[in-house]
Amino acid sequence: MEFLKSGIKTVLGSTEPGQQPSAAETVEKLVDRVYSSTLLEDRRDACRALKALSRKYRIEVGAQGMPPLVQVLQNDGQDAEIISYALDTLCNIVTSEEFDEEADNPAVSVNVGEQFTEMFIKNPEHVTLVMGYLDEYDFRVRRGAIQLITSLIANKTRELQELVLVSPMGVSKLMDLLTDSREVIRNDVLLLLIELTKGNSNIQKIVAFENAFDRLFDIVREEGCSDGGIVVEDCLILLLNLLKNNSSNQQFFKEGSYIQRLAPMFLLNSSNGSSDADESNWTPQKVSNFHCMLQVVRALVTPSNQQQVVSACQRVMQKSQLLQALCDILMSSGVPADILTETINTVAEVVRGDRENQDELSRVQAPSQPPRPAIVVLLMSMINEKQLLALRCAVLYCFECYLYRNSDGQRAVVQTLLPSSATDVSSLSTGQLLCTGLFSTDTLANWFAAVALMHTLVENVAQKEELLRVLLATPGGQRPITLLEQCTSLMQQERYRLQSKVGLLMLLSVWLAHCPGAVKALLETQGTMAYLTAQLCANEHDEREYLVQGMCAFLMGLCIQFNDNSLANQRREDISQLIIKRIGQETFCNKLSEVSRHEAYSRACKQAQIRAKGASELLLDYEYCKLYKGLEALIAKLVSGFDVDGIELTELTLSSEASALVAQYKGIIRGMDAQIQTLEQSSKQLEQQNAELKEQLSQEQTIRAQLTDQNTLLKAQLAAQPTAAAAATPTTTPTPIATATAEQQTTETANDEQLNAARYQANMYFAENIRLTKELETLRQQLAAEKQRADAAQESLLATQKDQDDLLELLADQEAKLARYESPTNEANDTNGR
Amino acid sequence: MSYAYLFKYIIIGDTGVGKSCLLLQFTDKRFQPVHDLTIGVEFGARMITIDGKQIKLQIWDTAGQEAFRSITRSYYRGAAGALLVYDITRRETFNHLTTWLEDARQHSNSNMVIMLIGNKSDLDSRREVKKEEGEAFAREHGLVFMETSARTAANVEEAFINTAKEIYEKIQEGVFDINNEANGIKIGQQATPTNPALPGAGGAGGAVNSGCC
Repeated sequence: MEFLKSGIKTVLGSTEPGQQPSAAETVEKLVDRVYSSTLLEDRRDACRALKALSRKYRIEVGAQGMPPLVQVLQNDGQDAEIISYALDTLCNIVTSEEFDEEADNPAVSVNVGEQFTEMFIKNPEHVTLVMGYLDEYDFRVRRGAIQLITSLIANKTRELQELVLVSPMGVSKLMDLLTDSREVIRNDVLLLLIELTKGNSNIQKIVAFENAFDRLFDIVREEGCSDGGIVVEDCLILLLNLLKNNSSNQQFFKEGSYIQRLAPMFLLNSSNGSSDADESNWTPQKVSNFHCMLQVVRALVTPSNQQQVVSACQRVMQKSQLLQALCDILMSSGVPADILTETINTVAEVVRGDRENQDELSRVQAPSQPPRPAIVVLLMSMINEKQLLALRCAVLYCFECYLYRNSDGQRAVVQTLLPSSATDVSSLSTGQLLCTGLFSTDTLANWFAAVALMHTLVENVAQKEELLRVLLATPGGQRPITLLEQCTSLMQQERYRLQSKVGLLMLLSVWLAHCPGAVKALLETQGTMAYLTAQLCANEHDEREYLVQGMCAFLMGLCIQFNDNSLANQRREDISQLIIKRIGQETFCNKLSEVSRHEAYSRACKQAQIRAKGASELLLDYEYCKLYKGLEALIAKLVSGFDVDGIELTELTLSSEASALVAQYKGIIRGMDAQIQTLEQSSKQLEQQNAELKEQLSQEQTIRAQLTDQNTLLKAQLAAQPTAAAAATPTTTPTPIATATAEQQTTETANDEQLNAARYQANMYFAENIRLTKELETLRQQLAAEKQRADAAQESLLATQKDQDDLLELLADQEAKLARYESPTNEANDTNGR
Repeated sequence: MSYAYLFKYIIIGDTGVGKSCLLLQFTDKRFQPVHDLTIGVEFGARMITIDGKQIKLQIWDTAGQEAFRSITRSYYRGAAGALLVYDITRRETFNHLTTWLEDARQHSNSNMVIMLIGNKSDLDSRREVKKEEGEAFAREHGLVFMETSARTAANVEEAFINTAKEIYEKIQEGVFDINNEANGIKIGQQATPTNPALPGAGGAGGAVNSGCC
């Protein structure tokens, strides 16, 4: 202090004794000196004095000193010393840190540093000016500039980030300083970069592009990885800044094989003897470092990241044995509880939704006697009352992530509860542990177990059906009861506390959703519906009671929505009537919406991870909220859509989206109806036509038969005519032959007898002859008649021919006439046309 | 996963010329007709083989909009290669090349390989910039030139690989200081023990190497 006082004296000259100048006056004099002194030494001394005063009299120095200090930065660049004073003074003015010297100064408000920062950066050139001094190799100058910029960024992050981005190669220049061989500079730059990269993805990307990952891993390795000091922690914090919510950098990190560099850092060197007494190895710094390392892993695979990036990173984490290293940490002793907790959370996110990783986790064995699966050991701590809350939450999260999109894993857990599975009694199974938790007297264990069990059912209807088969032995040796019955009866017990009830209600809700079998089973249990109704009618005025009421309403709603109407008196309409008459539709909907109004709901919706500061905060689960969100509106509409007579007003029970869909389908059905009608009509017409055609065909067929008959008849007739004609001619010829033979016979026989005989014969022949001539005559007549007939036919032919000729003649005549008429008509037309 | 060399690329050029589509076609072998505007910079990577050596390409796809120009500039210095892209159906994107080139030359290291890309060659009916003009511009400024189509994938592979070849040759010639990672080149575990950048290692060592490969 003496030195300072004498220093000020030399600068200001001795003052009159007894009259101490005020701080403001002193600063004014010093400022004046910085402005007006022509000698560099004088300005330097004044700056040194200002720096000394700036801690105790920050407001005075800040209010007056800024312009001259900037002037120094502009003009005295060649003198490192004065520049370093100016930079340090400015740094003191703008820092948000409170100095011991000013602790008793009431004028210094909390945000005085921030106000001075604002004044300083009002002119962006000031920042550029300071940035320029980063190029100065002199230790004091470079460090002063780094610290000043760090303070400025800490106070006005957004503005400074913009200014740095705009200044040419600003970020690159800062990155170069990381390679400064002077550790102090390098470490200060780390702090600067941590501030600079906060929440600005553009800067984060440039920093990563400038090989930040390589640099940081190099520094971490040089400093001894997790065993290193605070610099390691700084590096990891910067790494975390670069990766959080920055998919481009996450991808770069993965593609650049940096996960492979991260993995070995998690190997605990338990090989060096005393592995059990490891606890002493875990210094507070190592705990911090390790915590940051785990955070870095989580930043890559947290569920809110891009799915594509998460899966890619999960694959690499398995291949690079990072997952295995994490599992080893889980199973090793002596790891501090908070590290263990965070490791469990990290393992959870590394395996979430990735089958191979989930399988690897399921294969991990704990080094216990007898060896048990790690998952069983974890669940044991989850239902253990004595464990830390954060650890129990982490285990539940890990279990949830293990089951997430893992139907085989879900089945395996449910299987351990089924009687058929012949697991040996001595070993504990996951299912047994969950049941123990469910029926324990520890409220939290109830809640954890219920939620864990719930996750074996999420999006897995098969397991919902399977779980219905689970039977529990009763102590009295009576008939075994189902797990569902046990759950409903537990829910109705007074000693079962609210948090436990919330857990059970979530389990039952997920169980019932999309599973009519479970709805039926619930409706068959004694008194459950009565209990739910009573809950909804109750008029409790406790916020947490409201939540339970809302959840009961949701459960009732599910009983309507997924009811297959297979139980008489418990059909959809019946339950709706119960609601209408006993609770009231509006009250029901009001109570239903209590769930989403509760603060636990918005808390649980935020992320899959279970976070709770106190045990009482554990109420709703992420997956339950998802289910509720999807079905709340539907149930509300369904219930308010039933009218007093129990008629379902379907239009109202559907969401607008669904009713639009229904309308669309109705339109389609209407169209199809019309189509069917026209098709039916046309088919009828076609049938009719078909019948007509058949009739016609048969008619035609008979006609055809007749015609063929006629045809054959005519053919026969036609054949008969010429034979008849032919038969007529040969009968005439034998007559002369006969007469000739008769004459021959008369000449040959001379005697009378012979003559008589001959006469007799002659008479006979004569008679015969007459008969034949007669016959000939008739045949001739017939022939003549035939000829006549032919003549007549020819005549008629001729007549028709003549007629035709006449008609042709007539036609020709008519045509001639027509032609005659036409020509005048044409002429007339022509004249008309003209 | 191991590689002999790692090259950092940047893709630059006016907004809407198809920079992101080129990257997507190269890394994912697919085309997205409707692509959002790139905000700031996006990252992509792929492994290629040149001269029997595995080379990892890390590519930063920049935003073409003027508003992001100061951000884009930060990437020039650390890149070993740049694809300067214009759209053959929009004359103005070709006209802006000079500005882009000046910017790149000013902020990058002098050895950066720049490849000129005329993209959208599938839209020949709407062409406004002749292939010869692109060739002439490239010749004048000492760039490699190629017309590509991110839609049909024509020449996309070649554009990235030819740039890598050029860088690789420069390494063999000892032009690049490969020990300075600020140049956008990193040696991997696979690299040959002889360092081509070291003086004297070129002649005999190179001959032996080529003999055994």
